[in-house]
Formats: sequence, C-alpha cells, structure tokens
Amino acid sequence: MIEVNEMPQRKVLAAGTAAKTTDVKMANYVPQAAGPEQQLPAIIRADRFSLYYGSHAGVKDITFDIYPRAVTAIIGPSGCGKSTFLRSINRMNDLIPNTRAEGTLCVNDVNVYDRRINLANLRQQVGMVFQKPNPFPKTIYANVAYGPRLQGVHGRALDEQVEQCLRHAALWEEVKDYLDRSALGLSGGQQQRLCLARALATQPNVLLMDEPCSALDPIATAKIEELIISLKDEYTIVIVTHNMQQAARISDRTAFFCLGELIEYDQTKVIFTNPVRKQTEEYVTGRFG
Amino acid sequence: MKYALRQTADKLFTVGALLAVVLIVAALAGILLPMIWRGSSAVVFRGTVEFRRMQMEQFGHGDSAAVNAELAQVAPIRQKAYEILDRFSAGLDTTELVSRIRQIHRQFGAQLTNREVPPDQYETARDLSRMLRDELLAALDAPDGALALPHLDAVLAHDQDAALKDTAAGAYFDIAREYRRIATSVDLPRREEYAQSLAKISEAMKGLLGPRPGQPVPEGGAMQRYGATRWDQAQQQLDQLLWDEQWVSQGPGRPLKKVLTPRAQQFAGTPLAELFPYVQQNAAAMLGPRWTFYGRFFTDDNVSSHYFGGVGPETLGTLLVTVLAVVVALPLGVVAAAYLVECAPDTHSTRALRTCINTLAGVPSIVFGLFGQAFFMLYLLPKFGLRRDSSIIAGSLTLAVLVLPVVIRASEEAIRTVPRAFREAALALGAGRLHCFLTVTLPAALPGILTGLILSMSRAAGETAPILFTVAVASGPVPRSLAQPTRTLSYGCYDMAVGDRIAMLAPHNLFGMVVTLVAIVLLLNAAAIALRGRVARRLRG
Ligand SMILES: Nc1ncnc2c1ncn2[C@@H]1O[C@H](COP(=O)(O)OP(=O)(O)OP(=O)(O)O)[C@@H](O)[C@H]1O
Ligand SMILES: [Mg+2]
Repeated sequence: MIEVNEMPQRKVLAAGTAAKTTDVKMANYVPQAAGPEQQLPAIIRADRFSLYYGSHAGVKDITFDIYPRAVTAIIGPSGCGKSTFLRSINRMNDLIPNTRAEGTLCVNDVNVYDRRINLANLRQQVGMVFQKPNPFPKTIYANVAYGPRLQGVHGRALDEQVEQCLRHAALWEEVKDYLDRSALGLSGGQQQRLCLARALATQPNVLLMDEPCSALDPIATAKIEELIISLKDEYTIVIVTHNMQQAARISDRTAFFCLGELIEYDQTKVIFTNPVRKQTEEYVTGRFG
Repeated sequence: MKYALRQTADKLFTVGALLAVVLIVAALAGILLPMIWRGSSAVVFRGTVEFRRMQMEQFGHGDSAAVNAELAQVAPIRQKAYEILDRFSAGLDTTELVSRIRQIHRQFGAQLTNREVPPDQYETARDLSRMLRDELLAALDAPDGALALPHLDAVLAHDQDAALKDTAAGAYFDIAREYRRIATSVDLPRREEYAQSLAKISEAMKGLLGPRPGQPVPEGGAMQRYGATRWDQAQQQLDQLLWDEQWVSQGPGRPLKKVLTPRAQQFAGTPLAELFPYVQQNAAAMLGPRWTFYGRFFTDDNVSSHYFGGVGPETLGTLLVTVLAVVVALPLGVVAAAYLVECAPDTHSTRALRTCINTLAGVPSIVFGLFGQAFFMLYLLPKFGLRRDSSIIAGSLTLAVLVLPVVIRASEEAIRTVPRAFREAALALGAGRLHCFLTVTLPAALPGILTGLILSMSRAAGETAPILFTVAVASGPVPRSLAQPTRTLSYGCYDMAVGDRIAMLAPHNLFGMVVTLVAIVLLLNAAAIALRGRVARRLRG
C-alpha cells in the first residue's frame, strides 16, 4: 500500500517561518513553466494526464504543476473538464462507473492512479469542498468530527480539534452554542463553511474546491474568500470558479481549461492582464465562453 | 375563452380528486366501522351474572363471594319460573304419573299389612284402592278432558272415606285434583303439540338460565354449563322462549315463510301461560345484566373453542411471529439492498436478480407457505434438532421470506435516494465504503427502510396462508419455546369463520379477534411510524 506522505514543508510553514512567495515572481514570467524559480517543488504534478468517461475524454493530455502554499484557480467554460480534473486528484471519479485514467497524476510524488495506493490516506491528505454545501444530516459536531474519528481521535482531543477547525472556518462564534443541533439547520453560507471545517479536520495538505461559492450570496462569498486567503499559508488550495473577479482576487496562479485541455497556466495577474493565448484573452474579457 | 375552459378543467380536476378521497374514506368507514363496532362488543357489553360466574369458575377472575351472593339473590326468582314449568309438565307427562299411581297402590297395600287390619277390612280397602287406581289411569288415558272428568269425579267422591284417612292413598286425591285442573284448562288432544313446545321452552330456559340447579352438571364443555352470559344473548333466548317459530309452506316452488306466534297465545288458559309474562318481566332480575368492560379479552385464553374467553394466546402468537419475522427479514433485506445499490455491477445478472426479487413480491402467499413447510419445517430445522412439526421458528422464517422482497425493494429505493453528495462527502474525507454506508448512507436511508418495515409488518401479521402449515394451530397450549407451534389471530379468524357454529353463536368473539388483529397491526405501525418520524426529524434537523 502506497501512502501519500505528508509534506515536510507544511510543518515549516505552519511554524510561520516562510515568507510569502507569490508577489516576488511576477516580473519574470515564463509561460507554461510557471515559477521555475519556486522555492518549493510542486505538490501536484499531472503529466500527460487524461481521464475518460467511457470513450469520451473529460480531460485530455493535461500537464500541470500545482505548487504548495498557494491558491491555484481553474477557470474555463462549462463542460471543459475543470471538475473532472479536480476530482481526479482525490480520485472521486472512481465513483462514476467506466472511468479510465491515462498518464500520471502525482501528489507528493506518488501516482494517485497507482493500483496500490491507499485511497483513504490520499483522501485525508487531499480534502475537498463541493459546489453545493453537503453537510451530513447529523449534528454540527458530528460533521466536523467525522474525519478525525476515522483517524481514531476521541475524547478531549476530538473536542479541541473540532473547535480549532470551526475557528479556522470562521464558524465557531456562530455555532459554538449549537454544536448538537443538526447541520441542516444552518444557512447555506454557514453550511459551506462547515463543509470547509469538516475538510480541514482531516488535516489535509491540499484543499480542492469545486465552485464553493456558486450557491452563496455575495456576503457569504466574501467570507469564504477571506477564509481561502487566510488558509493559503498552511494549505495548498485548488479552486474551480466561474467568477473571474474571484479568481483574480484570491488566486496566485490561474489555469485556463477549454474543451478538456489546459490552454494556459500562469500567474493570475498575467492571465488576466496579459495572456499569451488569444483564447484565454477572449475568455477573461468575456468575449468568449 | 380557452383560458376559461382550462380553469373549468382545473376545477373539475379538483372536485374529482376530492370525490375520490371522499369515496375512499367512505369505503374505509363502511368496512371498518361496522367491524369495529361489532368487535368492540366482545370487550364492552352487558354481562349477566352467568358471565361473572363463568369468569370466576373458568378463569378465576372476580370476587367469588360477591358472585355467590348474586347467584343466591337470583335463585328464588328463577325457582318460581321452574315451578310453573314443573306444574304444567307434570300434567303432560302421564308416564310419570302412571308409575306414581301404581306406586301409591303398592304403598297403600304395604301400609295395610303393617297395621295388621282385619282381613275383611283389608280386602275392601284394597279393592277401593284398586278401583281408584284404575279410575285414575283411565282418566289419564282419556283423549279428551270431557271424557277424563267422570273418572276423576269418581275418584274424588271418595276423598272423605274413613278407610283412606291418613294413608298413602290420600295422594290419589292430590293427583286427581291437580289433573282435574289440567283437564279442565288444557286441551288434552293438543298434548303432543304442547310436549314439543315444552321441549323447546325447556331448551330456551336452559339457554337463558343455564342447567337447573340440583341437576347433574352436563357433559360437553363449559358451553353447556352456563346460561346467557351476555344480555344480547339473553334477549335471543328470551325470543326463543316467548315466540314459537314455524316455517310454513306457501305452496309448491315458493320459499317457506317464517311465522311467529307468541307462546303465551299458544298456551293461553293453561297453567303455563303465566310463565311467559313472568320470565319477560323478571329476565333482568334473573340475570342481573350490567355494563361490563372485559379488558381481559386481550389476555384471556378461550374455552369451548372461543365461545367464552378471549384472544390472549393468539395475540401473543401473532406478536411473536410477526416481530421475529421482521427481525430476521430486516437485516437480510437491508444487506441485500445495500449490495444491489452499492456493490452490484450493472450487469444482466444483476438486473435479472432484481426482476426476480420484484416477481417474488407478487407470488401468492400460499406458495411461500408450502415452501416454508418443505424447506424450513421438514428440511432445515430438523438438521438443528427440531421436530418435523410446526414451530414458531419455521413460521417466522417463512414469513421473513415472504416479506423479504418488500423489505429489499423499500430499502433499495431508500438507499438509492440518499443524495450522492452525502456519500461523496464521506468518501472525500477518507472513509471506506463500508464505513460510509454504515455512518452516512444507512442513517439517511433509515426512514425509507422503516417504511418497508411498516409494510412488511402489516403483511406478516395478517397473512394466513404461509403460517397455515408452518406454525399455526387452532387450539393448544400457549407456547413455551420458539420450537413449539402457536395460535395466531389471522389463523384463528380463519378457523372460526370456516370452522363451526361458534362464529354464529358468538360472532362478537370472531369480530373481536379481527379487530384485535387490526389493532395490533395499527399499533405496530404506529410504533414504526413514530420511530420513523423521530429519525426523519433528526435527519432534517
Ligand atoms: N459522470 C459523467 N459521465 C460521463 N461524462 C461526464 C460525466 N461528468 C462529466 N462528464 C463529461 O466530462 C466533460 C467535463 O465535465 P466537467 O464536469 O468536468 O465540466 P466542468 O468544467 O466542471 O463544467 P461546469 O463548469 O459546468 O461544472 C463534459 O463534457 C461532461 O459531459
Ligand atoms: Mg464542474
């Protein structure tokens, strides 16, 4: 069984010793090899990765490096394979029958499509927040505790971890007195933050978010965005969004997908101000898509 | 124009739907209410003193001192009715009188010998006695009152004879006087007809008041030992007593017609005539009807195949068999459903399997009964050391197989409708498939699974055919282990309905049993629905 190892870097970062890395590299941009001067090696590497639904390719031939401790946004027109790629990273596509992967997709240098991989371990390392808030029909506490319980955390340690994650997700103050109420009684935005807290509770390295704000109002969206920005010090975040402003606001790098292919991948500023491909430019300026 | 038309159609639809609902409710009420009404009379009715005596003697319920006091209170009132009856029947039953007369003659002879009267006196006295005897016998033999009277008068002419003073022969005159009264009042040629009616009257009296005190306890079960235990039954017996029922021909090819004549009219002028108003007026005093709530109906055993008593063992058996069947079927069904939804590949064989399960749900229940007998009772359970005989286990397993398709289908549907998002969320947190199923899918599917449980419980409790060969008996002891057969309500209803006269004699008990079955099903369902409500509320938050 292959385990996806926790990244050693994360501990360093969590201690707060590393500086922010994003703003430094803006000047010397090299297309398709975003940030060769990265201090940290890529945590997710896709190499000629394709995923097929039956005979139809959801994404094809993606070569894509995602760097730790940063927010990477994936944009693109509907049906271009953003979700497919995202769900490939933690192998959620396995739930769909007749899917088939080609090429390699590595997390921490472990190919996740290796037959021998420990799926539970992978999914603990790579958390996911879905488009629609999907808390379990259980109490707020039980929702957050679900992941830690799987890892064998109990008692006071569990209480503490739940509190910490709820604080991280900026939900603690709102729900601390109602931990034993059903999570379905929360508002949509609260539910989404709860899902975020639930994902954080497994202590992942990578957080995948598939349009986490599409079901939310602007205020809830702003809250989530704030959270994402505050979380990127500790986590690698990959976010799919249809909202250009959002991508521009929160992400460090942006990838543009179209028809299952990765068209362009670069610093967010570059994508939005000076993209190399014409398709990208048309898309971000709203003339296409 | 078109819009108006559409509006009319909408309204018609609403009215139609409303009508359908009203129709369904009316039909339900039409079926259920009479049944419940009649069934409730097994529990709430006017019980007579006979009921209380029966309860005390057969079940040991009630205060024996109070019952005995009550019996002592009604005894003299009843006694008077018996006396009227006796006086009349004595005149009719001449064979007994004849033997009594012959006995008097013998006794008188013996008395004379004992007193050592002189031989000449002895001879005259003997002759006189012989004459009186023959006159009396002739009077009894006379086909008509007019012909009997001269004989009786001849006898009574001697009632002052010194020779007969204070001897056994004095009894001749008592008989003669009594019979004279009858001969003058009763139409002697109708003696046959009276005798027939009298037998019916005695029968009705027995039905009303039970066997006469002092007579030997009749053979043949508790049914014969008590009078009318219920006021409604007493009323029926009273009708039998008060009315003569004849079926008269209305000519060839026409149905017979029932003609009721009051017996008081039939016996008018005879000493018996006073019996009818007496019984009618004193029926309540003789029976002491009182509103009774017989709550023990649900726990008492029965006697005389459900003529008396309740449905206790049947209720227990139904509960046991049903709950056990569901306890077996539910886990099996849920596991099967989980396999079909979560694990089974979408292949032809899976689809065939699903079709088989659906078909199984429509198989007639008698087929399951025969299967259960052949497989569980005769093949499987003997391997575990059970006798090849009906047992609760065999019946429960059969019922479990019967309801399995229902459970599987409901559970499958419930599991399938759990949003995929829940499953994805659990898996994305690193849960295994089993863990995900147990902690997320199953709790979310629980309300739907419980719906299946409700359906299957109702089915299991009400089925007769599957338990016919595997568990049910019509009578027998209360089971002490699961390896013994039991009585059940459904089979009890069937047995009573097709069995014998009991359903006619004690319809309230049959309906009581039916209503108990309905009540148990409703109760079990209510429990399951309450549980489902709680689960659903917890899921909703
Ligand atoms: N379960 C599935 N089975 C078969 N094909 C699928 C399935 N899910 C997605 N696809 C196909 O894969 C392609 C990519 O879909 P995907 O959901 O990744 O698009 P997307 O970029 O996330 O779109 P959106 O922005 O609307 O969410 C689409 O052409 C779609 O038809
Ligand atoms: Mg998508």
